Amino acid sequence: MSNGQPDLLKDLSTEETAGLLALGTRISLQSGGELFRLGSEASSLYLIERGRIALTLPMQVLGRGEDILVEERLPGQTVGWSALIPPHKFTLKATAPLETEVLALSRMALLEHFSARPGVGYLVTRNLASVIGHRLQVFQAMWLREMQRVVELRGR
Amino acid sequence: MAMFLMVLCMSLLALAVTFVAFAGATRAQAESAPQPKLKPERALPQHFFADAPVDRPTVPPSVLLAQIEQHIRLEQAAAESFIERPTPASLHGRTTSPFVH
Repeated sequence: MSNGQPDLLKDLSTEETAGLLALGTRISLQSGGELFRLGSEASSLYLIERGRIALTLPMQVLGRGEDILVEERLPGQTVGWSALIPPHKFTLKATAPLETEVLALSRMALLEHFSARPGVGYLVTRNLASVIGHRLQVFQAMWLREMQRVVELRGR
Repeated sequence: MAMFLMVLCMSLLALAVTFVAFAGATRAQAESAPQPKLKPERALPQHFFADAPVDRPTVPPSVLLAQIEQHIRLEQAAAESFIERPTPASLHGRTTSPFVH
């Protein structure tokens, strides 16, 4: 990882980190390559090792369906946590705007690993809650900012 | 009988005279009445239920997409900044997004 310890593996010991990373499968994406698609089955989550992942949602722009950037994730960050959160469906589309490498961690492998090492499971789950919580806070603030604008427009 | 026929002929004659007089009077009135002027033809509005369409400058799709992306990045940065220091002012801080100016 180019940015130190990945956000998902924060506070894990070197051995615990190595043990978890050993479960992963490296995936290389060319520029423009798709990692996962909106609505598809989420069976793996991904740690970004190199490059960048753009998370997009579809929107109608001038009568055409376009994928609009919602978030961009960098090396050391996690995408695809729907793999660990029911109903295990991706709610965004993930693509690589440039050549990118990610480590795919399958849900089955992770859950098995956590069953055998509850301490690791606890730390990863805590880190995951932090990733999810951060996104919730960001989008809550963004939503409120837009609402403020709607109120201002109606008041004119 | 002769009397009856005479009255009948007189009645028919009076009716005919009345009819001719009435027809002549109405024709004269119709000819003297001014013809209603036709209104000059106006261009009909294209939208009945809305004001005339405003000429908006057409933004090329690629430019609009770039603006949307820039707006989202700026909004995300503003939201991140609010999470770092949560205050009402930081929540509603203005950005340079083209969509809010």
